[in-house]
Amino acid sequence: MTNLEKKLRVWDLPTRIFHWSLVAMVGIGLTTGFISPEWWMGIHIWAGYGTVLLVVFRLVWGIFGSEFSRIETFVFTPHEIIAHIRELIFLRPRHYIGHNPAGAMMIFALLFFLIAITVSGLLVLGGEENQGPLAGAANYRIGDMASEIHLVLAFILLTLIGLHIIGVFIETRLTSENLVKSMIDGYKIIPQGQSSPQPRPSRPMAAATFLLAFTILAGSVLWAFSTMPPSGIIQMSKNSDYTTECGDCHEVYHPSLLPKASWAKLMAGLEDHFGEDASIDQDLSVNIASYLEIYAAEAWDTEASNRFSRVSLKAPYQISATPYWQRKHNDIGDDVFRRAGVGGEAHCSSCHRDASIGHFDDQKIKIPVN
Amino acid sequence: MNNLNKTIFIATATILLGGVSISIVSANSARDAIIEGFVDEAGMEASAERGKILFESNIGDGKPDTPSCTTCHGATALKTGMTRAGKVIEPMAVSKNPERFIDLKKVSKWFRRNCKSVLGRECTPQEKADFLTYMKSK
Repeated sequence: MTNLEKKLRVWDLPTRIFHWSLVAMVGIGLTTGFISPEWWMGIHIWAGYGTVLLVVFRLVWGIFGSEFSRIETFVFTPHEIIAHIRELIFLRPRHYIGHNPAGAMMIFALLFFLIAITVSGLLVLGGEENQGPLAGAANYRIGDMASEIHLVLAFILLTLIGLHIIGVFIETRLTSENLVKSMIDGYKIIPQGQSSPQPRPSRPMAAATFLLAFTILAGSVLWAFSTMPPSGIIQMSKNSDYTTECGDCHEVYHPSLLPKASWAKLMAGLEDHFGEDASIDQDLSVNIASYLEIYAAEAWDTEASNRFSRVSLKAPYQISATPYWQRKHNDIGDDVFRRAGVGGEAHCSSCHRDASIGHFDDQKIKIPVN
Repeated sequence: MNNLNKTIFIATATILLGGVSISIVSANSARDAIIEGFVDEAGMEASAERGKILFESNIGDGKPDTPSCTTCHGATALKTGMTRAGKVIEPMAVSKNPERFIDLKKVSKWFRRNCKSVLGRECTPQEKADFLTYMKSK
């Protein structure tokens, strides 16, 4: 730095903390979403909630933060944006004290996709998993659609992050400013000749008030949604004949796990039930068959009732033969199923600790180690 | 402990112990009646020895997945077994599980089904009497 250059604190502390916290949150979200096994879902969800908080904070700080954190300071006209890109192509970009136009566009894109990704995630959580504030408002179909959108958005986000890092690298090379260091210590160097503005300070009290008001409002809305009972879950009475007659040999499967037609076929073939004679008295059989017909998959709208409704044609009442079951357990080795604590493919509740109530929450998966 | 408390304690303990022993006695007599019924039907004395052979030998005349009783019931009458669907089966021996074989309906149901699964046919009254006599002796 020569004597003619000046150092200016461009990024205030909250903006810098926001930036690196967001890196951490999104990093956790992407890792747990793409790589980690299902039972990390709890952490994925918390990373999502954390991202929402950070994004909301940034938008509020974009109004009340210090000069270069304010959104108005990095809204550029199309003309300025095109000019900046042209300068980039000719490798001579002009120096901006705050965000340059390319960086600003990246910020808006990231904020937009982060909002979209968290909203779609909340819909997946409520629709498919029947959890979270939208468990009542979102049905399975909405959740299923949202889950595909959520995945596409995640890939877009990954691409944007890649472009963001490349952009920072290129601008750092072309302007010989260390942008990464600026985002850590907050300082940027003002080149000689460039007029140094009189930056406006932040208004933390206003920001806090606004954030509090927003949190109360958004919290109340989500709370109101969360009071709705989870969609697609019905009241079911217990049937002691079903519990004892079927439960003597195997786990008492939740009736929602197979469609009516499958239960009917199963009940008609008890003399050869998965290679064993499981025949029961006529009156018991009638009672159990009618119970299963009432509470079969068709009566529910849960992830399990939807997924297992597509049965295998060869084994129409074997849950572990359904395409979905096969796909989801593909990675799990035979040795795991042979463990005494697991007890085979037919024993859902060994690992799915909430299987008996027809839920198969990702967070409730715990595979016995032996 | 004062005298009243002592009296109450002894009375309660007596009633409880009495209740437990009565239920064991009645369970035993219910089981004996079931075995007696099969012995009568068979028309000959039951043999624990034959029952042991029936339980432990590899028969293989029924369904391919269940060649013997011990496929699911554990290697001996005293051992815990497991159904093919992963559910634990308490030992068959009466000494290990006093609740065994006291409900004729239940006994008949399991003989009917499991004999078909293992032997490919219903068991004879003699086989049933032998089997139960063996389990009672263990």
